[in-house]
Parts: sequence; structure tokens; C-alpha cells
Amino acid sequence: MLILGIESATQQVGVSIGGHEGVIATFEVARGRRHAEILAPAIQFVCRQADIELTDLGCIAVDVGPGLFTGMRVGLAAAKALAQALKIPMIGISSLDLLAFPCRHTDRVVVPVIDARKGEVFWAMYRQVPGGVQQVGAPTVGPIDDLVADLLARSQDALCVGDGADRYRDEILDGFHCEISGPVHPSPAALVQLAHSRALREEWVRPGEIEPIYLRAPDAQINWATRESRP
Amino acid sequence: MLLRAASLVDTCAIASSLAGLARVGDIIVLAGEMGAGKTAFAQGFGKALGVTEPITSPTFTLVHSYPCGPKLTLHHADIYRLDSTGDVDQLALPELAEFGGIVLVEWGDVVATGFGDHLEVRLSRDEVGDGAGGADGDDDFGLDEARLIELQATGRSWSGRWDRVAYGLEGYRC
Ligand SMILES: Nc1ncnc2c1ncn2[C@@H]1O[C@H](COP(=O)(O)OP(=O)(O)OP(=O)(O)O)[C@@H](O)[C@H]1O
Ligand SMILES: [Mg+2]
Repeated sequence: MLILGIESATQQVGVSIGGHEGVIATFEVARGRRHAEILAPAIQFVCRQADIELTDLGCIAVDVGPGLFTGMRVGLAAAKALAQALKIPMIGISSLDLLAFPCRHTDRVVVPVIDARKGEVFWAMYRQVPGGVQQVGAPTVGPIDDLVADLLARSQDALCVGDGADRYRDEILDGFHCEISGPVHPSPAALVQLAHSRALREEWVRPGEIEPIYLRAPDAQINWATRESRP
Repeated sequence: MLLRAASLVDTCAIASSLAGLARVGDIIVLAGEMGAGKTAFAQGFGKALGVTEPITSPTFTLVHSYPCGPKLTLHHADIYRLDSTGDVDQLALPELAEFGGIVLVEWGDVVATGFGDHLEVRLSRDEVGDGAGGADGDDDFGLDEARLIELQATGRSWSGRWDRVAYGLEGYRC
């Protein structure tokens, strides 16, 4: 089955197509962050170059975050619209999973760290399992200090990846000795690879069931007391 | 920094001076009660950035975006209708600022901690100084009245510009 992967949860926007024979074609742009302008032409380009009609696709995979609100929204909207029009199922995969997956051959703890802006990051920890990686503990959002505290508490050999690890390299290394390298952005190729193994198990959903993972501070009521008390 | 705008023209001039110092990435919170002049300020600000479309209150659509050349978009938001911080988060205003934008947020002071570095512009009626050439008292709206405008920066992004802010607004200082 051919899978189209749409990845736009971070600064990078990317599209991949793949299936049984692995990844067939990929297009990525990591600068400029013009997700909305780039995505549709990128899908067309990848399909044309790989000589694939949209109607050949059997599934649409999409990165559901956490990441940039604006980027995710563009990717999810495009992915859902395509899946609906083509009447095919979808697979949503977390950006943290996508960052960890290419590091599945290390025996260290893999820690994808995504820039959440305002000094905060999203992160999760993964360990190697046969054929891939597995998340240990729930994904978290918080200040860099919390990430460092989490790393210290675990005190295991760690590999940090992602744009958050890249941006806050010094802060992380100041607090905890570890390696920072590997992928900076989740890749659409990893998305297609991971989605393919799920598709084999028919672990897909309908477009209406795909929800973004925002992973933000808990929602709170705005205190409009000041507003109401005013004339 | 406390300023006094004797009229709507002054409010627009102050906005225009700040627009000259604003840059991509800025979030400017517009605070003050209904009718204080937040939208009026945004109009002066937008005009200075070359926005030719009329800037109207975005109360119903939440965010209006005005392209100001190839590398800058002015976003004008009004969060008065929102009830939860999650709803505000969904607008992703800091992202709009980060990627080629300047964002003005009416009523943004109620959730300002979520914005990180920003400038707050707080408008209020100048009860004391008013009356000289201002409202006749029968109707507050549409008339030229004095306003007090208080500027306050949170974070460091404005500290390097503060001298120029003060210099540009010297004539309006209280
Ligand atoms: N010095 C002044 N500065 C700003 N506005 C003034 C001034 N003098 C008179 N006005 C008038 O006050 C009104 C301000 O209305 P505006 O829509 O800008 O308020 P607002 O703060 O955006 O209110 P809302 O909370 O309802 O959005 C306008 O009609 C404007 O012409
Ligand atoms: Mg208004």
C-alpha cells in the first residue's frame, strides 16, 4: 500500500511517499516556514516525480504534534482534506516518535526535544526495543530546567535530538552531560516508515478521528472579573 | 513610561512612533476598558506601517492580518470574546509574531504571561486633564478626548529600544 506522509509540526515542512519497498520520494524545506504555500505544490511534486497518482494512495499519514500550532494546523487540514476526498484512512503519529525513530539503533535513552517557544520544550524519553523504540513515561512540556531535572533523575546515557535540543544545547549540557546530535526536525520519511508498520496492522483511523496533540499548559478560565466590573 | 494624548491625533502619533520602532517578532498588548482607544491605537499603528485597508475591530473574527510588504504582516487580534487560556493558545499569536509578524492584541493583558516578551500599551481616560478641549460630557464616543497612555515592557526585547522610545515620545511625557 502506498502511504503519503505530511509533516509540518516544526519549522520544517515535508512530504514523503512510501510503501512496501520503503520510502520512494521525499521533499523537505527547513527554512522560511511557509508551510501553507509549500505543502500543496510539494505533494504534487513528490507524486509526479515518483510517478504516482493521488488515487494510487492507500493511506495518509500526518504528524500530529506536539509542535507549532500554525504548522500543525496546515498539515492536518491538508491531510484530512486529501483523505476525505480520496476516501482513504489516516494514521497520526507524534512528532516526538518521529524524532526518536531514526535513533533506534543506539542503546542510549533517546530524548526528542522540541522547541515549544518562550523558553519551554516538549520532550519524551525512548528506549530501544526490537525493531524500533518505545516511549518510557508520558511526553511533557516545561522549561529547560525541568528537562534537565528529568535527565538527572534518570541519570542514564542519553542522546538528545530535535530543534529544542539544538536551540538549548548549552543549557542542557550545563546541567547534564549527554550527546546532542541526530535529527533536528521530524522527517516525513520516518513518518511514512512508522505509518507503514501500523498500516500492516490496520491501525488506522477515519479523518474525523485525527486530533492534534497540543500538550500545553492546562487550560484555564480567563479571569474577566476586571472586564465585568467595568462600566 | 506615562504619556498623555490630548486627542485622537496624538494617540495615533504615539502609535505611529512606536510602529517605527517595532520589528518582526513583537507582541504589543493593548489594554484598557471599552472605548479606551485600543482599536484607534491599532489604526494609527497600522497606518504607519503602510496598511491602506481600514483597520476595523476584529472582535468577531479574532485576528485580522494585514500584509505590509514581503517580509512583514501586521496581525490585529481581539481576545475579548474568548473564555479560556486554551482558546487564546489556539490563536498561536506568538507564532504569528515569530514568523514575520508584529502582533497587536486588544485585551491581551488578561493572558499576558502567555506571551513572553512584550510591550503593554495601557490606555485610559484622562479624568483630570480632560475638559480643556475635550468631551462635552453628553457622549463619550467619537469625541476627541485626552487619554493617558502607559507603556510597560516585559522581557528584554524592548530594553535596547527604550531610549529611542523615550526620545520619540518626549513631547507626550507626563
Ligand atoms: N485621545 C483619544 N485616543 C483614542 N481614541 C479616542 C481619543 N479621543 C477620542 N477617542 C475616541 O474613542 C473611541 C475609542 O474607541 P476604540 O474602538 O478605539 O476603543 P477600544 O479600546 O478598541 O474598545 P473595545 O474594547 O470596545 O474594543 C473612538 O471613537 C475614538 O475616536
Ligand atoms: Mg477595540
